[in-house]
Amino acid sequence: MKRMWTIARVELTRFLRDRSNLFFVFVFPLLLVLLIGAQFGGGGGVQVGAVAPDDVPAERLLERIEDAGGIAIVEVEDEERLRDEVSRGVLSAGVVLPDDYGARVEAVEPTEVAFIGRPDSTAASVRAVVSAAVAQQRQAGQAAALAEDQVEGGGDRAALRTLALDLQAQLDGVTVRAETVGTDELGEEFAGLGQFDLGASSQLFLFTFLTSLASSAALIQLREYGVAHRMLASPTPMRQIVGGLTAGRLLVALVQALYIVVATVMLFQVDWGDPLATGVVILLFSLVSAAAGMLIGAAMRNDNQASGVGVGLGIGLAALGGSMVPLELFPDGVRLVSRLTPHAWANEAMAEIVRRDAGLGDVIPQVLALGGFAVVLLVLGTFTLQRTLAR
Amino acid sequence: MTQVLRCEGLRKAFGDLQAVEDISFTIDRGETYGLLGPNGAGKTTSISMVAGLLHPDAGEIVVAGERMHPRATTAKAAVGLVPQEVAIYPDLSARENLRFFGRLYALRQRQLDARVDAILEVIGLSDRGDDRAGEYSGGMKRRLNIGIGLLHEPQLLILDEPTVGVDPQSRNAILESVEALATDGLAVLYTTHYMEEAERLCDRIAIVDKGRVAAEGTRRELVATIGEQDLVRLDVAGDAPQAAVALRQLHDLGSVDVEDHAVVCLLHGAAQRLPTLLGAVAEVGVSVTGVEVREPDLEDVFLHLTGAALRD
Repeated sequence: MKRMWTIARVELTRFLRDRSNLFFVFVFPLLLVLLIGAQFGGGGGVQVGAVAPDDVPAERLLERIEDAGGIAIVEVEDEERLRDEVSRGVLSAGVVLPDDYGARVEAVEPTEVAFIGRPDSTAASVRAVVSAAVAQQRQAGQAAALAEDQVEGGGDRAALRTLALDLQAQLDGVTVRAETVGTDELGEEFAGLGQFDLGASSQLFLFTFLTSLASSAALIQLREYGVAHRMLASPTPMRQIVGGLTAGRLLVALVQALYIVVATVMLFQVDWGDPLATGVVILLFSLVSAAAGMLIGAAMRNDNQASGVGVGLGIGLAALGGSMVPLELFPDGVRLVSRLTPHAWANEAMAEIVRRDAGLGDVIPQVLALGGFAVVLLVLGTFTLQRTLAR
Repeated sequence: MTQVLRCEGLRKAFGDLQAVEDISFTIDRGETYGLLGPNGAGKTTSISMVAGLLHPDAGEIVVAGERMHPRATTAKAAVGLVPQEVAIYPDLSARENLRFFGRLYALRQRQLDARVDAILEVIGLSDRGDDRAGEYSGGMKRRLNIGIGLLHEPQLLILDEPTVGVDPQSRNAILESVEALATDGLAVLYTTHYMEEAERLCDRIAIVDKGRVAAEGTRRELVATIGEQDLVRLDVAGDAPQAAVALRQLHDLGSVDVEDHAVVCLLHGAAQRLPTLLGAVAEVGVSVTGVEVREPDLEDVFLHLTGAALRD
C-alpha cells in the first residue's frame, strides 16, 4: 500500500506542477460557471422583470420595489416574454402594470398589478416586497386625495375623518394579483436552482472527465521516459504499480472535482445539495474519469495522440451527456442516447440532489449506473495498462 | 569469487524475430562484464530478461542465488537497472526522483534519507539536488540515471549503453564511476557498442551477434582468437570487392573482409608479405591509396567473427 501511495502521490505532484494545467484546470471551469450563471440567472441578486407603462406612478412603484433591497428591476417588452423568462428561471419573478396604471393611481381609482412568480421561496419573498410597495403607493394616493379634499372643503376634524373613511370605502385602491408560472415541465425542472447551480455541476462533470482524459498523457510519458520499465524492474509488484497509477489518476480527477465544488461555493454560493449524495456521485464520476483516462493513456501510442483523443472524447461526451446544454432540452431520442455517457447519469443525479433536495436513496439508479461505468472502465483500463507496461 | 549472476541458454523471440538465440554467461562479485555488439544484436533484450522485465522463452537466470523472472521481488531487489534512456521524472528534482525510486525498493525512511544524500554526493549533484531534473544538462541527467540504479545498494548493476549521447567529459566521468563501483565489489553488466569502452572497463567481454554469444573472454583472450596475426588494411580506389577476391586466392590469409573502400586482411608476417598483397591487388586493376599494418583489436575480432563492423 505504501508503494502504491508513493506512485499515486508522484502522479498528483506532477499534475499540479504542470503549469499548462493552471488555466484549463483552475481558471477556465470557473469562467464557464460564471458565463452559464450569467446566461441562466442574469447578474447578481434577485432580478424581477417589469412590464410597465412610461408614467410617473409606475416608475415610482418600481423604484419602491428596488429600494426594498436585493432586487433589480429588468424592463421586459411584453407579458408573454416575461412569463417565459420567469418560467425558465432567467428572472426570479415579474410584475405587469396595466397601461392606465398612472392615470388610475392619480385618480385614486382601483387598479391591479399582476405578479408572476415560480412556486419557490424567492418568488414568495419578492411578492411580499411588491405587495408592500403597492400598499405604500396606495396609502400615499389616498392621503393626497384626502388632503386635496380637505383644502377644498376647509372642513373641521370630524368632517375630515368622515371624508377619509368615505374615501377608503370608495377605493379598493391598487391590488396585487398573484400568478404562479413555471408549473410546466421545463419550468419545474429548473425551479429552485440558484443562478450558478446548474453551471457548476455540469461544468464539474465536463472538466473532471476532460482533465482526466487529457492528463492521461502522463501515462504515455512514463513509458517514453523509461520510468515505467524502471518501476517494473523494482521489487514493486505489477499490481501495486497499476494500482498506484490508477490511484494517481483518481487523485487528479478528485482534485479537479473538489476544486470546482469549493471554488463555486466560495465564489458563487452554489448549493451542492446533500453532501453524502453529492459526495458519492462525485466520487463515482471521478473513478469513471480516472479509469477512462487510464484506458486512453494505455491504448494511445504518444501523448499528442492521447491529448487529441482525450479532448475530443471529453468534449463530445460532455455535450452528449448534458454538460453543455441541459438534458431537459434534448429531444427524446437524443436523451435516450445520452444515457450511454456517464455524464448524463451524473447530471441527472445532481439535478435530483440540487433541484429537488434528493438524498442518496433517491439517486440509487444513477449511482448504480455510474458504478457500472466505473467497474467496466477500471477493468478495461487496468488490463490494458498492465499489458502496455509489460511490453 | 562469489557468483552474482548466472544466465543459462537464454532465448527470446518477438513474433517471427528471434531476438536472443542462445546466450549464457556468468558474472562474479567485483567483476565488470561487457556485452559488446551492434544495435539489434540482442543486448537490450538480454538485459531486459536479466532485470526481470521480460520472461525468457527458454533458459534460466539466477541473481544472487534467486531465480529472476518478472514477479521475482527478491531477485529484483538485488539488481540496479540503468536503462539506455534517461529514465527519470523531469518534473521532479533529483532528490525527489531518488526518494521515489528508493521507496519502490522499500528503503526505510532513515536509510532512504542517508542513501539519497550519499548518492547525490557520488553523482556530484548535491548542490543541485532540489532543482528540477528537467533543467539539468544531458550529463547531469545521465549521472542521476546511474544514481537511481545505485540507490538501493544492489549486488548487480546493469548499465545499458549509459554513454549514448553524452559529451566526452561526462562520458569520462561515467566510465570512472563504473571503474570505481567494480573496485567496491559490485558486479556490473555493461552493454555497449563502443569497443573502447568495453576494452577499458570490462574484465570479460561477450561478443554478441544475432542473439548469440560469438565469443567470450578477456580482451587478450578474444584478440588471441584471431591468432598471432597482424591486421593489414588496404585503402583502395576502385572495386574493393574485386580486390578482396584477388586477395582470397593467396594462401595463409586468416580472413579478408571489405569495409567501405578498404580491404582488411589478417595474416602472419604482414611486413614480409605486404609486396605480395599489393601485387595481387594491382593485378586486378585496383590501385591502393593507403596501407595500415597494426595489431588487431576488439573491433577486428568482431569483424573476424561476424564479417560485419560493430557500428553496422
